[in-house]
Parts: sequence; C-alpha cells; structure tokens
Amino acid sequence: MSLHDFIIVPFSYEFMRRGLVSAMFLGVSGGLLGCILVLRRMALMGDALSHSLLPGIAVAWLLFGTSTTALFFGGLVAGLLTAIGSALLSRLTRVKEDAAFGSLFVLFFGAGVALISKLPTRVNLADFLFGNVLGVSPSDMRLAMVVSIGTAAVFVLFHRSILLETFDPVFHRATGGKGGLVHMSFLTLTVLNLVAAMQTMGVVLALGLFLLPAVSAYLWCDRFRSMLLLSVGIALAGSVSGILLSFHAGLASGASIVLCLGAVFLGSVVLSPKYGAVTALRRGLAPRRHP
Amino acid sequence: MLTRENILQFRGVTVRYGRLTALDSITLDIPCGESTAVLGGNGAGKSTLLRSILGWQPLAAGEIRVGDSHPHHARPRVAYVPQRHVVDWDFPITVRGVVEQGRYPSLGPFRRLSEADQELVNGALDELGIADLAARQIRMLSGGQQQRVFLARAVAQGGDIFLLDEPFAGLDLFGAEELVHILKNWEKQGRTVLAAVHDLALARACFTRGILLDTSLVASGPIAEVLSEANVDRAFRQGRCVHGAGHEGHHA
Repeated sequence: MSLHDFIIVPFSYEFMRRGLVSAMFLGVSGGLLGCILVLRRMALMGDALSHSLLPGIAVAWLLFGTSTTALFFGGLVAGLLTAIGSALLSRLTRVKEDAAFGSLFVLFFGAGVALISKLPTRVNLADFLFGNVLGVSPSDMRLAMVVSIGTAAVFVLFHRSILLETFDPVFHRATGGKGGLVHMSFLTLTVLNLVAAMQTMGVVLALGLFLLPAVSAYLWCDRFRSMLLLSVGIALAGSVSGILLSFHAGLASGASIVLCLGAVFLGSVVLSPKYGAVTALRRGLAPRRHP
Repeated sequence: MLTRENILQFRGVTVRYGRLTALDSITLDIPCGESTAVLGGNGAGKSTLLRSILGWQPLAAGEIRVGDSHPHHARPRVAYVPQRHVVDWDFPITVRGVVEQGRYPSLGPFRRLSEADQELVNGALDELGIADLAARQIRMLSGGQQQRVFLARAVAQGGDIFLLDEPFAGLDLFGAEELVHILKNWEKQGRTVLAAVHDLALARACFTRGILLDTSLVASGPIAEVLSEANVDRAFRQGRCVHGAGHEGHHA
C-alpha cells in the first residue's frame, strides 16, 4: 500500500472527512480540559460523568429520534444531574463525594444500557458505547466545532483564572477570584465536550481523548502553558492516526483513537527523561524530594 | 515613615458557620508596621479572622476596616499566604511562574506582564533569595524554599499587609529559623504581618504583638502580656483543647 493509499484515499470519503474534522476539533478542547482534570485529580470523576450521559441520550433518542440537538441536551441534562446529584448527596448524607458519584453513575449507566437495548431502532448499543465514525452527521460535526471553539476561547480568555483556580484555589479566592464560577464552568464544558464527542468516541471511551493526551503531557512538562500545548498536540496526532487506524483495520473509531493515544501515554511513562519509569528505576527507586 | 496608626480595625466582628459561632464580637486594633501572632487552639477562629480581613467571610455582625476602606476595596494591599499543603507541588509550574501570580490581581485577565511587573517579580525573587531557583519546578525545593516562594509571591503583589496562615506548619528547625529571620526583617521595613501560629514559644520569639482567641477575644497587645499564664490558661485549658498549650508545631 502506498502512502497515498494509506493517508489520502480514506479521506476521499465524505464520512471519513467529517469524522476526522470532528475528532480533531474535539482533540483541541479535550486536550485542554484533560489537563485540568489531571491536575485537579478529577480524572475518575470525568470518567464517571461520561458514563452517566447514556440514559439522557437514550431518552432523547426515544422522544426525538436522531436530532443532534435533542441528543445533546439529553446528555447534558443527565451529566448535570449526576454532577449536581452527587454534590447534594454528599452534603445531605454521610456518603462522601466519590462514593456518591460512583453510585449515581453506575445507576445512570445501567438505566442507559437498559433503555438502549429496548430501543426500537437499528442502532446498536456498541455504537453508543465505543463510537462509530460512520455515524458522524454534518450536524454532529458542526456541534463538535462549536463546542471546541467555545472551549478553546474560554481557555484563552480566562487563562489566568484557570491557572490560579487549578494551582491554588485559596490564593485565587483571596485575590478576588470567583472559584465556584470557574469550577461550574469547567464541569459544564466537560459535559458539553463529552456529549459532542459521543458519536466519534462513544460514552465509554470519550474520556480517553481528554485524559490520555493530558496525562502524557504531564510527564514531559514543567510549565502549565507547555503542558496545555503539548496535550493538544498529542490529542490532534492521536485523532488523525486513530481515524486512519479505524479505517484500515476496521475498528470502532473510539477504540482506535484511544489505542493510538495509549501508545503515546505508555511511551511517555517509560521514556520521559524527568518523570518516567526508566529514570526512576535508574535512580534506584529513590523517592522524589518531598517538602 | 513609622506612624503607629491602626491599619486594621475590628469592631464587634462576629462570624457564624450555620449555628456555630467562629468569631464572637471581636473588637481590636492592629497597628501599622508590626508583626502580630494570631493564637488559639483548634477552632478558636484563627483562620476565620485572617479570611475575614480578605472580605471573603460574610460577617454576621460588626465591621472591619483596612486602613480607611472596606476589605473588598483594600485587596491589592493585602497579600495572603496560604498554608503550604494546599497546593500540589508536582504542578507543572516554575518558581518564577508562582511568583508572577502575585501580579495577576493588578493585571486582570488579559494584560501581559509589563517590564515594571517583571521588575517587581525579580525584586521579590531577590529579596527572598530564590532568584537562582527561578527556573526550577517547585517540587525540587526544600520546605523552607517552598515557603519562600509563597512569600515572594506575596511580596510581588506589592501589598503592605501580609496575612500568613500557619506559616511554620511542617517546616523543619532550619526552615523555621529562616522564616523568623525573614519576618523580623519585614517588620523592620515597616510591613504589617499577621500570622496564625500554633507554637507559643515561636510566637514569643518572633512576634511583637499577639491576639489570643477562643472564638471570643481573650487578649490582644504586646506578645509577652498576651501570653501571660492566666490568659493561656483561659484560652487553652477551658474544655476543648486540653493539650493545646504545649509546643506542638504541627497543624490541625
């Protein structure tokens, strides 16, 4: 197979171009959001959040069919219900926030699986869970573009607030920052991006596009800005190569993007000169210096 | 310019969290250019007092003035130094990056750091003796150096009132000595320092004045008078905090 066959031919198909454009745009916003998830130790929460979108999407599908707008708002409502519900649960009962989140998300996810398996459509559950690049409609692509550009704009405009709130929320507040507002906007952006990523990535794997680039970049960078940029770069590269892999190997697009990003992550874990495993072993497993 | 006017004034300040009273009608004055230790057991209201000066604690009653203004309007003057354990020291940021944050409040969200801002940052790095560490990631520092990064950020902010939340927590002997030295220097330069402190011996050695709290005000004034045996008994041995009067350096 020539290089031309390998890289150019796949994109002579309209659906492949749409899949690629969606994945690349979502890579930009996912790479940015992922950094905050990683730095604020919210990685698992993000994962739970993405699973919990399923019933919202299923209900929207039942009521309104394939309308992108309906699916979008269905997912949004389900995600916000989980986030707000677990916040309430942890404040009103002795259940801690992680357990509350865990319980609500499996409940939501279970309800979503049950609903979809009973849906009277030709769409199968696997597409919802793992993504199907064939299913990316022009309106899905537009949604991905809008959400991604919006997310990137928020990061550019509020770069300093985001940095302060992530690094030192107490100082942020002491200097007049609105911590709660930053946090809520961040959660909302995450849900928006997860919903937008659902067609290409699937709800189970969507977080991979957010998390894997960020955690890889975290292993290389000592500056916030360079971590953001590298994370976006890795996400873009992973989206392109993942879409190609999906075409040539006939894999679900979400799975192949996650596999490509996973390779970068594992490479970083092993090879990062400062924070990698090889370096740590060479130092004789000497612990890092703690304050 | 050594005026001794009162830079912070509390008049009947009361703060409640739900039904719990954290500060009970505190009235006191803090003179300009002196270092004051805020003392008391766990839950005595030390942190609440510091936060109320920043204007982020709604007051149930009373009033606080910073100079002539309401705390909300005095923000650039007041530099807050959080406890060291509140941040993740693995965060991808350099020493210089943290100190630059001190300039953010005056810059707002968009303006770039001007040359004057850079000068302030350089000055703060020099003053705290961490200029040669500026490019380091912050994990690669000792506890005392990390504390100095936080102090440098506060200096770069350009304020004249410094609020320190448990600055001695988790420092080893050398780090603590360093900090005592820095705080004494600041006092000489006419900076006003207000620090929550657990360790009474350190407070005696390092601070000029003291405020002793037990949700209400037990005593306020020169440190030796505030830490009289009778006062310490009142603040620490009543009920809650039986072991608190000793020399336990660690925080709650």
